[in-house]
Amino acid sequence: MKSKVTRIGALLLLLWASAASARDWKVDAAHSTLTFTGTYQGEKFEGRFKRFDARIAYDPANLAQSKFDVDIDIASVDTANTERDQALPGKPFFDTAQFPRAHFVTTRFRKAADGRVFADGTLSLRGVSKPVTLAVTFAQAGNGGTLDVQTTLKRLDFGIGSGDWADTSMIGNAVMVRGHLLLQP
Amino acid sequence: MPLRNTDTRWGDIAQTFHWLIAALIVVQGVIGLTMVELGMTPTKVRVFALHKSIGLTVLALALLRLAWRLTQRAPREVPMPRWQLAAARLSHFLLYVLILALPFSGWLFNSAANSPLEWFGVVHVPSLTRGFDPVLKAFALRTHVVLFWVLVAVVAIHVFAALWHHLHQRDDVLLRMLPLKKKSRAVQRQGAMP
Repeated sequence: MKSKVTRIGALLLLLWASAASARDWKVDAAHSTLTFTGTYQGEKFEGRFKRFDARIAYDPANLAQSKFDVDIDIASVDTANTERDQALPGKPFFDTAQFPRAHFVTTRFRKAADGRVFADGTLSLRGVSKPVTLAVTFAQAGNGGTLDVQTTLKRLDFGIGSGDWADTSMIGNAVMVRGHLLLQP
Repeated sequence: MPLRNTDTRWGDIAQTFHWLIAALIVVQGVIGLTMVELGMTPTKVRVFALHKSIGLTVLALALLRLAWRLTQRAPREVPMPRWQLAAARLSHFLLYVLILALPFSGWLFNSAANSPLEWFGVVHVPSLTRGFDPVLKAFALRTHVVLFWVLVAVVAIHVFAALWHHLHQRDDVLLRMLPLKKKSRAVQRQGAMP
């Protein structure tokens, strides 16, 4: 009798828990990337942040309770070009001495009529906080999955490459940012 | 003056290649030595881009010049001692190698550095490497710098020899690379003879 009550209780608790929060995932850092594509002197270049910490609660069936909270170590930027990588942490660009980390946190998730999912959130980067929307693609694989997010930022919105470097014919304003996360239960 | 080389003079095309590349080498040397001292500003980026564009131009001109040189008959060599002829041939050969190898090493350096390469911002020039390669980058830069100083040395010898032939030997070595209507000194001397 008692065990039945316990079991029903546990079941209810489980239902409540799943309704209250979307599923928490562990992010496999070794197989996850945060990359960006910018334009420099008329050519595209790729960069990445080698260190970031993503806390992901996501359930496509429970978007209301889903949440991304991502902390990025800006000094870990790597664009496979020594001179550029020396310049990027400097004051005109990321100014990592003053702003070592960037932070993104979602405020809500939306499902478009065509089924695509968007995550609205706030990105705090180089002392500027702005609303940013990510396009979200989630694929379940076994009991894990992959999460791909993408957005395009304007670097000048965040004062990256200010002053002499504001010339967008030398450094393009639009920067496409992509996250690819390998999720584990 | 004829476009092609004659038996006694370099033609217009050979002369144009010679003086154009000579001028660009001087410009490149000045820009190259100056630009490395600049602080990290957009000006530095633009000056580097200019250096790369001129360097690629020199490479293209050098290839065309080499093709022209190999398909044309050179003027008869001015009579001079054997060792001078040998030295002249060697330095001309080295100059051809250098005007090809110097821009090429710069291109290689730029490729291994994973830096953009747009000829005067108009034509994309492909990379010679698969992206960033620190070992090759260091090698190409060393090569570029060494070749530059070798070029400075060979050009110094070349210029000294041309002036020495002109001012001291009073022969046609320099005149036949100059767009002058003047008669050659050999002809003048022959004409003056009774």
